[in-house]
Amino acid sequence: MATIAPPGRPSADLAPRPNVAAANLQLPGVRDYEQVDREIASTLQPSAGWFGALGVAILLFLWGAGAWVYQIYWGLGNAGYAPPVMWGVYIITFVFWVGIGHAGTLISAILYLFRAGFRTTIYRCAEAMTVFAVMTAGLFPIIHIGRPWKFFWLIPYPNWRLIWPNFKSPLVWDVFAISTYLTVSATFLYVGLVPDIAVLRDRATNPVRKRILGVLSLGWRNSEREWRHFARMYLFLAAFSTPLVLSVHSVVSFDFAMALTPGWHATIFPPYFVAGAIFSGIGMVFTIIIPIRKFFRLQHYVTINHLDAAAKLCLTTSLVVGCAYLIEFWVAWYSANNFEQEYFWNRVFGQWWWAAWIMLTCNMILPLSLFSQKLRRNPGWLFILSIFINLGMWFERFVIIVPSLSHEFEPWQWGPYLPSWVDISILVGSFGWFFMWFLLFIKQLPVIAIAEVKEIVPPKLRAPHPHADAIDTSGRHQEFEPDTPGEFA
Amino acid sequence: MGIVAAFRELDATVDAIEDLKQQHVADITVYTPTPRHELEEAVHPPPSPVRKFTLVGGLAGVCFGYWIAIWTADYWPLVVGGKAVATWIPFTIIGFEVMVLIGALSTVAGMFINSRVPKITMTVGYDPRFSHGDYGIWVPVPPDRARAVEETLRRHGAVEVRYER
Repeated sequence: MATIAPPGRPSADLAPRPNVAAANLQLPGVRDYEQVDREIASTLQPSAGWFGALGVAILLFLWGAGAWVYQIYWGLGNAGYAPPVMWGVYIITFVFWVGIGHAGTLISAILYLFRAGFRTTIYRCAEAMTVFAVMTAGLFPIIHIGRPWKFFWLIPYPNWRLIWPNFKSPLVWDVFAISTYLTVSATFLYVGLVPDIAVLRDRATNPVRKRILGVLSLGWRNSEREWRHFARMYLFLAAFSTPLVLSVHSVVSFDFAMALTPGWHATIFPPYFVAGAIFSGIGMVFTIIIPIRKFFRLQHYVTINHLDAAAKLCLTTSLVVGCAYLIEFWVAWYSANNFEQEYFWNRVFGQWWWAAWIMLTCNMILPLSLFSQKLRRNPGWLFILSIFINLGMWFERFVIIVPSLSHEFEPWQWGPYLPSWVDISILVGSFGWFFMWFLLFIKQLPVIAIAEVKEIVPPKLRAPHPHADAIDTSGRHQEFEPDTPGEFA
Repeated sequence: MGIVAAFRELDATVDAIEDLKQQHVADITVYTPTPRHELEEAVHPPPSPVRKFTLVGGLAGVCFGYWIAIWTADYWPLVVGGKAVATWIPFTIIGFEVMVLIGALSTVAGMFINSRVPKITMTVGYDPRFSHGDYGIWVPVPPDRARAVEETLRRHGAVEVRYER
């Protein structure tokens, strides 16, 4: 277990220790409810570094927005599309951002149902990441269609044209899946925030801010009645989100699997996409949470044990993804289908070898380092690895889309693909858009769930706790027996 | 009229609730910064009916999802190779997604209705410290029983007891 650290100081917890089960994690450095409120509320104070980061994010966003305006004015021909490759950076980036969102739901909903304690301090960041990632992803099909003002034609509604969308089309499934995912994820994030907003409301001294927080907290009063129904609602939202997250990337994979194109027409695509999505999302969670715990001095909340447990999850999903890559090659060989075999040979040793090897190195080889406990407990390495995972997962989608379209059945269908400066600018702008929202979020609302952290902090007692002699998995005596977060549901 | 009491300790709050229940004081509202099993066991509330909202919302959603897809296919038939116009396999995707959407939103609505939120104004019997670190008990009592209830709350360690109306 993590060593006890005074508030505001990182725990020196890097020494090798037994590979203990890290599911039910306590926070020895957090003593009481008042400390939780004080330290988490203090993260809302703006700093020069935050303003600087926000400025960079806004600049990147404006760069991308400018490129989009240019594309709208001059047409989609500026996007780097050239027959036969008519899906490129926009669809790659759409799938990438949808995937990023998946880890948020995994951590907030699936790990909640499994009572995995290590999610408690990281799930708020992951949930916010989900909402902003899906918001970002939703832009790309609109950018890709070239005439963004027509996107509402995909939505079924009574209209004078008497035209309705074709519900047998994977693109219409996408509309339903992504809009449901965004709505449910945003709802899940908001209702989870309500008790924490009430804490901020009750601490606020500025009357305007107090009024705004009062409206946002819906008049929440922490009554037993409210908590009882809240816990039940949270359980059902988690239960809905779990199959939803599996369905969303399955539906995204149908965009490809429903086509006869070599490399796409495979039944492995739904699980392959879901595993990849969760893997990429965990990478982005590391990219976000490691700087946050450092700059906000939250090392005694997001402990090394939490990172260790998340790294094990990352390793597991990496192995699943790696297995899917290998099965794809095996299926191509075993099918005795010349087109499939030609495609996969071309992917790894032909025209697109460099992209495939970036993918394989970042997603299969480098994450194997997480078999080392020392590296799993090293935040610096986890951050560096997360950057490689983000890169590798973007290239995974590149490798799925571009080599298939550029090397179809007949030689006359073969061709090159090169993204234009407009594609790249909009890709960069999407990162600016995502981080702009995230940075605004972390200075307005708590990045760690105050109420859930309090569940694992010992309550004040008059009499000694009956479980004062509880011993944790590391063999150390614990002063209290914490509830498992979410146990109330 | 009612009495609101603030407690620093969890076990003191539990003892006060149990004592009040023994005195047949009804309609006790307990405030806690975070849900605790001890308080739930002391209050012993009925099961939350939110699940019924979830069930009704989910069923309504799946019915609507299938209906909109089947109705559209029938209204604008795309006959390809003699295949069925209304095909249940792709329409299951629509049915599932709409089930999740309506089911989730009705679950949240169920929580709002049963928890009586949103509240436009802060009602009596609440103190900001209840979201911070203290526990609270709010008991609406008639004037003739107020003294006895106050004494019970103080005896169990309430750090503040005040009358509100």
